[in-house]
Amino acid sequence: MNDVLRVPWLIAGNTVRELVRSKLLHNLLLFAVLLIASSMFVAQLTVGQWDRVILDIGLAAIEVSGVLVAILIGVGLVAGEIERRTVFPILARPVTRGAFLLGRFLGLCAMLAVSVVLMLGVLAGVLRLAGYGVSSSVAIAALLILLELSLMAAAALLFGSFTKPILASAFSLSVFLIGHLLTDLKAFQQRSHSGLAKVFTGVAYRLLPDLELLNVKSLASNELPVPHGLAPAAALYGAAYAAALLVIAVSIFSRRDLK
Amino acid sequence: MATIGPTQVNASARIRSAAPLLALAALAACCALSRARAERLAPTALETGFDIPAFPAEVVRPFSFGLRSFVSDLMFLQAIQVHGGRGTKMVTAHEGARDDRAMNRLLTYATDLDPQFAGAYRFAGNAMPRQTLDGKLTNVLQAEALLAKGARECPDDWHIPFTLGFIESYFLARFEAAGRNFAAAARLPGAPKYVGLLATRTLTQGGDLAFAEQLATAMAEQATEESSQREWEERLLDLRMERQLREIEGAAARYAARTGQQAPSVAALVKAGELSDVPREPHGGRYLLEGGEARSTAKERLRIRGRRGALATLEVQ
Repeated sequence: MNDVLRVPWLIAGNTVRELVRSKLLHNLLLFAVLLIASSMFVAQLTVGQWDRVILDIGLAAIEVSGVLVAILIGVGLVAGEIERRTVFPILARPVTRGAFLLGRFLGLCAMLAVSVVLMLGVLAGVLRLAGYGVSSSVAIAALLILLELSLMAAAALLFGSFTKPILASAFSLSVFLIGHLLTDLKAFQQRSHSGLAKVFTGVAYRLLPDLELLNVKSLASNELPVPHGLAPAAALYGAAYAAALLVIAVSIFSRRDLK
Repeated sequence: MATIGPTQVNASARIRSAAPLLALAALAACCALSRARAERLAPTALETGFDIPAFPAEVVRPFSFGLRSFVSDLMFLQAIQVHGGRGTKMVTAHEGARDDRAMNRLLTYATDLDPQFAGAYRFAGNAMPRQTLDGKLTNVLQAEALLAKGARECPDDWHIPFTLGFIESYFLARFEAAGRNFAAAARLPGAPKYVGLLATRTLTQGGDLAFAEQLATAMAEQATEESSQREWEERLLDLRMERQLREIEGAAARYAARTGQQAPSVAALVKAGELSDVPREPHGGRYLLEGGEARSTAKERLRIRGRRGALATLEVQ
């Protein structure tokens, strides 16, 4: 295999091996699994539509725990390594910084995919126990959540490439929160009378990731079909945005003076 | 000088090892006793209740950060708790105002966050209207507004227009609007047969006979089962009878206005020139005229009671 591909692949493999032993990942996954399992009991508080409550809690647990994994572990994979100075032995070898970042990203995405599949499996089990099945909308919602998590992982690597872990975590979390507010930001821009506010919100709307495009959880829980063509378009958007963040991260990290 | 024997050493070691357990037991007993005493001495807590604020949907929606459906469920579950907390005890409008407000706001939030939450609309229609001890009906208009939103947002759920129609006919006596909502429900997949029949009855009560006939004709044409088709054909006969009864009553009113007396029979109306001929009763019966009101000997007129009974004197708030 070509070195350009082999090195990131090896680093990705190492990242997966590291993450498999990560207590933080285990705890977050356990928390999510318990939350999903508890949805069965919460559903009993409602009047009908048990499946809706189970799905809402389940998909929310997948998303929230996944975002925490992507941010907290993603930041640790670059910024944490720099802070602990464990990155130097790796970079002292014939490994480019771009290959290092790409490998870390791929390894984290692989773990995120495994986590999402695992949690979706638990959710399907809980639904089955309650006498319901998993619709195609639920599968699409989970796939789009995985893309959202990949995007958040790329954001965490980007911020981790130039700042301290705590700041990188805060910035990444802000991206997640703002990413779900962009529709309202646009509405604010349209209603605002201030020229400066219009320009600022307009630029923010264009630059920040619109995570609501990757959010079809309401459709899934209401047993509604995902509009034709939305899933591929949203998936392409999420993947392209994550790739763009990764390119910026590589560019910054390659120029960074590591001391 | 006294020496310490092995027995004393063992006893001392035992005491040392048991000391933490003894201390823990003493502290636990102390906690239990002091807590019980403090609870006895503490002043009775004032009843506090968090009045759910009325934030507009534009404010509520962004703060769910992509978990709209989940937060919507939490609001819905809270509304169910409020409803359950009421119990079966009747209270005055004032005493129950906080719960009414909470139910309305929670369900408004739930449906603002997830406008396609059919269960929340259905629950609102069934749980929100409340009869009070002081002769009022509360949360009826609020439930109506929520259901109207639900009928727009969930156009495939027949329960929502059906419940809206029920509220409009039973609580508000708006029979024409109710009939139109029943008719909308009857056309949706999964709606039972009786909804369409109820729609025509309510429309007849509300005065829109033409719409009732239109619905019945369409339903008769679409009916796939022979029994359904027969029912709708029967309903078309009922509607034709109603139309003829109205013609007779119209003629009787004109007769009374002209002569100052009530017409004694349908035949008298024909004789007086108010009717061209005695209409043929579609069920095979006869038309009678009593005190200006017409009726058929074969079948009762299509009518609906609504709040004309025990609820009629209640004030809708």
